[in-house]
Order: sequence, then C-alpha cells, then structure tokens
Amino acid sequence: MSIFIQNRSVPIFIGLLALFALGVTVMSEAYGTGAISVSFTKVLGMTLCLCLAALAMDLVWGYCGILSLGHFAFFGLGGYVIGMWLMTARTESVVRANLAEGVIPPTEAEVSQATALQIFSVVGAEDWPWMWAASDSLFLTLLLIVVVPGLLALIFGWLAFRSRVTGVYLSILTQAMTLALSLYLFQNDTGLRGNNGLSGLQNLPGVTAGQDEVSIWLFWASALALGLTYIGASWLISGKFGNIVRGIRDDEQRVRFLGYRVEVFKLFVFTLSGILCGIAGALYYPQAGIINPDEIAPIASIYLAVWVAIGGRGRLYGAVIGAAVVSLLSTYFTGGRAPDIDLGAFSIEWVDWWPVLLGVGFVLVTLFAPKGLGGLVDYIVRKDRT
Amino acid sequence: MSTLLEVQGISVTFDGFRAINNLSFDIGLPEMRAIIGPNGAGKTTFMDIVTGKTRPDSGSVRWGDLGHSLLSMSEAQIAQEGIGRKFQRPTVFEDQSVHDNLRVALKKPRGPFAAIFDRTTDADHARIGEIADEIGLSAHLRTQAGILSHGQKQWLEIGMLLAQDPKLLLVDEPAAGMTNEEREHTTALLKRLAESHAVVVVEHDMEFVRRLDCRVTVLHEGSVLAEGSLDYVMADERVIEVYLGR
Repeated sequence: MSIFIQNRSVPIFIGLLALFALGVTVMSEAYGTGAISVSFTKVLGMTLCLCLAALAMDLVWGYCGILSLGHFAFFGLGGYVIGMWLMTARTESVVRANLAEGVIPPTEAEVSQATALQIFSVVGAEDWPWMWAASDSLFLTLLLIVVVPGLLALIFGWLAFRSRVTGVYLSILTQAMTLALSLYLFQNDTGLRGNNGLSGLQNLPGVTAGQDEVSIWLFWASALALGLTYIGASWLISGKFGNIVRGIRDDEQRVRFLGYRVEVFKLFVFTLSGILCGIAGALYYPQAGIINPDEIAPIASIYLAVWVAIGGRGRLYGAVIGAAVVSLLSTYFTGGRAPDIDLGAFSIEWVDWWPVLLGVGFVLVTLFAPKGLGGLVDYIVRKDRT
Repeated sequence: MSTLLEVQGISVTFDGFRAINNLSFDIGLPEMRAIIGPNGAGKTTFMDIVTGKTRPDSGSVRWGDLGHSLLSMSEAQIAQEGIGRKFQRPTVFEDQSVHDNLRVALKKPRGPFAAIFDRTTDADHARIGEIADEIGLSAHLRTQAGILSHGQKQWLEIGMLLAQDPKLLLVDEPAAGMTNEEREHTTALLKRLAESHAVVVVEHDMEFVRRLDCRVTVLHEGSVLAEGSLDYVMADERVIEVYLGR
C-alpha cells in the first residue's frame, strides 16, 4: 500500500478516475439524469479501454524503450476471444428460441449444428472451426483472453529479443506481425468469419437488462481495469524492477554487464504489456459491438504510439491523458459532430482533415512539449511547489 | 596467488582487420595489472572478448580454479561469474539517482521476479552507504546521476563495479577527466582493491600507470609486445619504437 504514499500520482489518478466514474453514473440513462446517452457512455467506456492499452504501450515503450508498432494485434486478439464467446451464446439463444416453436424439442446436437450454421453460413461454412472449441465456456474464455495474446507476445518477443533485434528493426517486425495477423483474419476460411468479423457483441448472454444498464456496467468494468492496472504498473516500476527496465531503455549494454539477462526482462515487459492489451480489447469490443480484421491493421498500432507520444512517454498518467484526449477528439472530429468550415471555394470537412490536424498536433507537441501533455502536468505541479 | 583468468592464443578479425592476433594473457588473484598500448592496439577488443561482447575466432578464455571456458557464456553470465567492467566513457543510468544506480548494481539475485519483489534491506542500505562514502558521493545519494560532474560519474561507475562485488575488475581509463586530487584518490582506491581482487587497468596516461606501481602489459597490433615493470618495458627497444615512432 506504500505505493499510494510514495507516488502521489496514484492517489490523484485513482481519485479522479473514481470521480469521473461517479459523474458518468449520475448522468447515465440507467442510473441517473440521462444527460449522457447510452452511445456516449459506450464511447467513454471504450476510451477507458484505449487508455488501458496506452498504459500497456507506455510500459513497453516509455519505460523499456521497445517501440512496438504491433500492440493492437494483442488488443484485437483479446476482442476476438471474448467475441467468440459472446457470439456463440447470443446466437445459441436465438436459435433455441426459434427451434422451440417446433413440435419436437431439439437435441443439443441440433442446437449446436444450427448455431454453427447461423454463425458461419456467411463465409460458406457450417461446422465449428477448432478455435471455437472454448467458446461455450466463460471460464475458458476468460483464461484465453490472457493466454492467447500473452502467448503470441511471448513467442514473438522470444524470437526477436533472443536475436537482439532492437530499435527500428524491431518496430518494423512488430508492424509486420500485426499486418500478417490482420491479413490472415481477412481470409474467409480461417474460422473467424473473414472480413465480416464478429458482431452482435453488445448482447451479454443471460442478461435481460437493456443496453442502458449494460453500457454502464461495462463502463465500470473498464474503469476498474484501468484503475487496477494503474496501481499495479506504478508499483511494478517503482521498485528495483523499474530501475532495471529504465536502465535497459537508456543503456542496454550497461545492464547486461551488470549481470542481468536483458532479453528476459524485455520479454517479461513485452508479454505483460501484450496481456494488458488483450484485456483492454476484451473490454472494448463488447462496447463497440463488432470486431473485424480492420481493427488490427497496422495504422491502429501506430495511433497507439502517437497517443503515448503526445501524452508523454515514461509517465503513466501521460499515456492515459494522451489516449483519452486524442481518441475523444478523434471521435468528435470524425463522428460528424464538428462543424465544417466553409471557406467559399474550399471547405474543410473534418472527417477528411482530422488526420492532418492530428499530424500537425503531433509535430507541435514534439517541437514544443517534447515530454508530451503529461510533461506539462509535471511543469505545472513543479511550479506550484516553488 | 592462483590464476584467475587465463587467455590463450586468441585471435579475432573484423572485416579482414586483425584486431587481436594470437594474444595470451593471464592474471592472478589478487593482482593489479596495467595494459598500455597505442590506439588500435586491441585493448578494448581484448576487454570485449573477456566480457563476452565479442567472440574470438580462435583461442581460449579460461576462468577460475576449475578453468572453465567463458567463451560459451553470455555477457550476463560472465558478469555473474564475477567479472565487472568499467567503460572508457562513463556509463551510468543518468536518469536515475546515485542510490538507484548503486542499488541496481548491488550483488543480489538477477532474475526478473527477484527484482520485482526486491526490498532494500538494512544490509543493502549499509552497503550502499559504504560504497557512497568510498566514492565520495554520500552527499549525493538522491542526486540524479546525469547532473554529476564527469569525474563523479567515473566514480559512480567504479562504485557500481564495487557493488557488484566482482573478482576481476576490468577498468578502462579510470582517470580520464579527473583532477589531480581525484586521480590520487582513484589510484589509492584501485590499489586497495588490488589487495583482494584482480584488477586490470587500461590506461594511456603513463604518469597514472607509474602511480599504480604494478606489472605492465604492452599491447601492439593485437599481440603482447612486452610485459614487466614499467621501467623494464619502457626500456624495451620495440616499445620505444611503437611509442616514439621509428
């Protein structure tokens, strides 16, 4: 518990997060005034998941110096794993309802067959692919949310770090990893419905409550996950482990000659970070409602790095600020809410111009606030103290 | 005195350039040894080979009483065996405090889980304080290493070496960038260490080598040119030729 005293950002962050969660609840449709719509509650919950992914990214990049440009592969895998369970359960209940109208009650095999047909007919298949074997068990699904992204990170990291691939070469490899996974999933015969992806994920099985309540539950779960991860990550990097990892970032060779196996430490951080991203994805996609291979296209992982850079790497709150600010602005500008600017012969439509704005913002932050938005927080806090 | 490190007939070639050519070297415990030689003589490459950074094309590097080979070990394993290295340019973790630099170096289990659950015990605190006294940084334990002076960084790195508690210390130009007073302190420290450790000092500065008052190995073009007391090697014709030109 000493982490709360040693690192002042922890109690402040947890306090603000709790206040925010309380505020959203009070204004939600299900439990409050209704000032915040169901869809916006989902946006906020998803934003918290993106913040969690940014925390994971900051651990691996900001603290350990590994610029991974493939972390959305882990995020997407977490989403696919939970998606299989959600879609199976949902489809099965619909199928059961339909078959119940018949005179003879259906056997379990018939239900299973009809469910598979319902899910996979869109890609011209009718049998359960092997990778759906765990999709009828919540317990196994929760286990796999950790195991699948973790295993990919472990294997990829082991191969890369063992060969001492570093710097830009490693970044390119991670890009290739997420691109390969995305292209693979785009195929129709992989068992994950190709470019259709998994849909209807907003319906939690066995829950009769409406989306107004479900959205706020998932929002709470996201806030809880973010808060716990923040505490855990702060604790992890506050001790000797953090010293070593930051040492690896600044001078890998020195750490090696002190007798530490740098590869093992990198692998540990990379895998942990992959698992956290997987958990973030598993919380995100039930709120998004749909996942398809486009979600893990290389650009998504690059955005993640941009958020952390804008927020300020090497400080956990920086990553959270960056992800929250940029992704909310992105939703605002690309969601058609921002008024277009009419310049007579030429009009600025924000849907098209948002990437330009983001690019300009990125350059400005790099030039004028190299420590990111989180660095500005440091600056203000220090000014207050003097 | 028993032999601690025995290097025999090593050679290494970089892109056709023979950096080390059939070099043999040994050092006992305890012993102080200075290695001198002109630029490109292979001093740093020699250290790279002993610490596992570079693999030689041929030859053997044997360690300890049992004489097992260091060639198949990784840098980290070799460091854990008890070989500490100080680089020519001071390399400390500039982003972290003097205390944390020493804490990372302190001899303790090196695995990730040991690091996660590591607590600084009273014994650790005492040891860190002791080393800080030794290197004259006890008033700077909370200072960020990056803002120390060049000489202080050199000392911090020596302190990190001490914290590792190695048997063999490889020290590359320890006195570079130090004032006269600091040099004297460094000399005294190294001499004291050599009473219980094996210490190899690579140095350009003859005055500093003279103060160390130890056996000297002269390297030239990747091989040993001469070995003996400083006066003895400096009287050697070939050494004079190498140092003063033909």
